[in-house]
Amino acid sequence: MHLISYGQALVLGLMQGATELFPVSSLGHSVILPGLRGWNIHQNDDYFLTFLVATHLATALVLLAFFWRDWVRIVAGLGRSLRDRQIDTDDADAKLGWLLVVATIPAGIIGLTLESALRSVFASPTSASIFLFCNGLMLFAAERLRHHAPVRQTSRYSDERIARHVGFRESVWVGTAQAIALLPGFSRSGATMSGGLLVGLSNEDAARFSFLLATPIIGAAAALKLPELLGSSGAGVRGPALVGAAAAAVTAYLSVRFLVRFFQTNRLTPFAVYCTVAGALCVAVFALT
Amino acid sequence: MTKRPALIAPAIIAGVLLVALVALYFADSAGALPSFIPGHQTGSGHHHIKHGIAAGLLGIACLIFAWFQTGPTDRGHDAARAR
Repeated sequence: MHLISYGQALVLGLMQGATELFPVSSLGHSVILPGLRGWNIHQNDDYFLTFLVATHLATALVLLAFFWRDWVRIVAGLGRSLRDRQIDTDDADAKLGWLLVVATIPAGIIGLTLESALRSVFASPTSASIFLFCNGLMLFAAERLRHHAPVRQTSRYSDERIARHVGFRESVWVGTAQAIALLPGFSRSGATMSGGLLVGLSNEDAARFSFLLATPIIGAAAALKLPELLGSSGAGVRGPALVGAAAAAVTAYLSVRFLVRFFQTNRLTPFAVYCTVAGALCVAVFALT
Repeated sequence: MTKRPALIAPAIIAGVLLVALVALYFADSAGALPSFIPGHQTGSGHHHIKHGIAAGLLGIACLIFAWFQTGPTDRGHDAARAR
């Protein structure tokens, strides 16, 4: 008898891979869906967290593979700047690399110190639905309050534009905004994209910065808990976790391919509408049942 | 990046202290930690590994910051490039 059935693992994996990158909160959906379906899955149980580790690891690996060439350039830029003990103003790869490092540190520290406490308090379907609604409002607000990116972009490549527009202070704020995703229902990618818009990036550049930021933070969080998957906590859940991870990998790949193109011409508004409507409906459903 | 040489020494000291804190978090249980250190819990045998990793991240960040502050100034770099 598996704690999560293979069918549930497939559905949760497919959903996690997609919702991790769409700005609609993967963790929130992982909490809400079992609640709506009446599945006997408890979000604070070790086996479910172990299952989530596997799906997150798969998503991080897909992102790493998708942006592999970019990461090679960025890491080379980091190496150049360390060697020279300065970041050359013309070296967009080095600047982008350090922006990603600076943005990852606050989210990592907040996540390491507060994740368990926040998860145990807020991992109920009702609170996740309320936060999903709030996530929608956050996306609406970001589009409303954004500093509009210049119509004529001065740089041809997205990375150059990010390196030019985003300073280290702004990067800290965007990185800190990621931490809100510790609350199930708030989206990490939604928070970073919103932060990117507020510091003057276009939707395309904000999405790219968000996806690059996702790789180290999701990968590190998954790697930190990997021993649980391989240890006694993983007993009885490794098979479904493997199915869930494979499903998450497929949808994560399709999602990132779609979203990179989508944000070249579109905004966060459709996701804001989805989150507010779905969040409100779920709150009503959980209140009535 | 603006250079602030006055911050080199404080950044190195903070970095070294934070790296030492990592060793403390890994070696000592929460109950054995000094009371002024975050994570201290009287009588607890739990090891705050995550606190240690967080302190390590901050410590490394401080040391990297100090490393960059010791680099050439932009003006000097530009002059060197012009030569």
